Amino acid sequence: MLRNVYLKTLRDSRKSILFYSIGVVALGLYVTLFYPTIRDATGFTDFLEDLPEVFQSIVGDAETYTTAEGFLNVEVFSFMGPMIVSIFAIIAGTSAIAGEEESHTLDQLLANPISRASILLQKAAGLLTGLLALSVALGIGLIAGSRIAGFDLAITGTIQAIASLYVLGATLGLLALSVGAATGRKGLAGGVAAGVGVVGFLLDTFLSVVEILEPARFVSVFYYFNSNDVILNGINAAHLATLIGITAVAVAVAVWRFEQRDVAV
Amino acid sequence: MTEAISTAGLTKFYGEHRGVIDVNLEIREGEVFGLLGPNGAGKTTCIRLFLDFIHPTSGSATILGLDSRADSVRIRQDTGYLPGEFVTYEKLTVLDLLTYFANLRGGNLGRAKTLADRFNLDLTRKIGELSRGNRQKVGLVQAFMSDPRLLILDEPTSALDPLLQQEFHRLVLEEAAAGKTLFISSHMLSEVEIICDRVGIIREGSLVTVEEVSALRERALTRVEIEFNDPVSPADFEALEGVTDVVVSDHRLTCSVTGSVDSLIKAAARHTVNRIESAQPGLEEVFLAYYSDETGKESSGAA
Repeated sequence: MLRNVYLKTLRDSRKSILFYSIGVVALGLYVTLFYPTIRDATGFTDFLEDLPEVFQSIVGDAETYTTAEGFLNVEVFSFMGPMIVSIFAIIAGTSAIAGEEESHTLDQLLANPISRASILLQKAAGLLTGLLALSVALGIGLIAGSRIAGFDLAITGTIQAIASLYVLGATLGLLALSVGAATGRKGLAGGVAAGVGVVGFLLDTFLSVVEILEPARFVSVFYYFNSNDVILNGINAAHLATLIGITAVAVAVAVWRFEQRDVAV
Repeated sequence: MTEAISTAGLTKFYGEHRGVIDVNLEIREGEVFGLLGPNGAGKTTCIRLFLDFIHPTSGSATILGLDSRADSVRIRQDTGYLPGEFVTYEKLTVLDLLTYFANLRGGNLGRAKTLADRFNLDLTRKIGELSRGNRQKVGLVQAFMSDPRLLILDEPTSALDPLLQQEFHRLVLEEAAAGKTLFISSHMLSEVEIICDRVGIIREGSLVTVEEVSALRERALTRVEIEFNDPVSPADFEALEGVTDVVVSDHRLTCSVTGSVDSLIKAAARHTVNRIESAQPGLEEVFLAYYSDETGKESSGAA
């Protein structure tokens, strides 16, 4: 695990990958095992139908709770999933370069014959691999849970939703990594990425219910992540391509800035 | 003969703050070069420029014949670096860290293990548990383990105890004998005097002078105090070559001698000498003389 920067990155985050993976498996199991109870409670859907639209957009409408996919869309892919995955990704992203710089270990790493671009890209690859582990864990939790609870879950839709979640996590994580690499400031890196995530979430929820503002939804990362309810309707390729494009630009700028700038002692 | 390090008008400003200004240095391959100066003079800035941790505001540095900016990775392949305060991954064991860095360098741990033995370094301990001195030993081992052509050492011994400093000095002399180039920054002149061939003195970002250690030593003043059996006259000594600051009180003479003390000894021998004392010239004295000189010039120039 000490062969190169990529493997060292994974080694450093092995505990965090393990704990977060356990977390998302637990989330997957919890939600799927809970689903039959909600589905069978007819009073609950009647109650939801009476709610104002704005609340329905948050907790989901009645339909949400009558299909497994609709339920998972609200319980896993609207808030809890993105939150856990984003926190993991942002922490990994901030510690990658800015974290090393602030703990003064970057100098000695850079004293080795390795380019800054390579360090950045290997650390980014480490982050993406960690996220992949979380995604697989979430998939296992959901699919295993649905089997145990005895209901059919649309596997393709679930995998697509997880893939979309993966892209969201990668976007926020690599944004944190990029800001950190470009500036050397861990707090700024985490702040920007968390800000983009939290503001994106709030904006998406808010803009989707205020009809006149609906066209402005495109400013939020959450819009690209799941505005079309991926688990129900499949991946929106243009949306994911947008996130991937933004991330690629951020990483490219970060490589350029990281190569150009002075590294702090 | 190629130059191991050569800089042309190397200048670094951190925004408004001065790092180094117009440094022109030529360090031959196989040389042990000492960069001397007080804290904040620009020693570390020079070193960070050489290793491409920071980029010059203007001017350039050529290391091992390669441009410090464009060919930095190739330069670092052949360069070992040790900072004054070696900071690295605290959670790794010493062995893990050395393994990691050896892998990044595409080398093996053979020499690292020999060096660790020599400096009595426990490979199984975690870096975070080590004392400052032991941590510095790890830094020393990682700097030398790949057997690099050039070693850049920034105040390498500041955290080592005197015994280890001596062992380190022996290592430096061995490396020098093996044809390696060593660039060592220090504010400890006694150290530079032992291990360096040439010394550059840096002050407020500017390279003030570069001299052979032997030449510096020649310029050094020896303080001599002689106690005679009978009273002597200052006139007997004032005219001697290289002798200054003659003070005679009764039968005791104190003076400063530049270079050889031969003429003074011969003049003294005409009298009965009870006791003679001389203070060994340290580079400290040369250095301080240089500094007070320069400070004097500057303040008068500025006035």
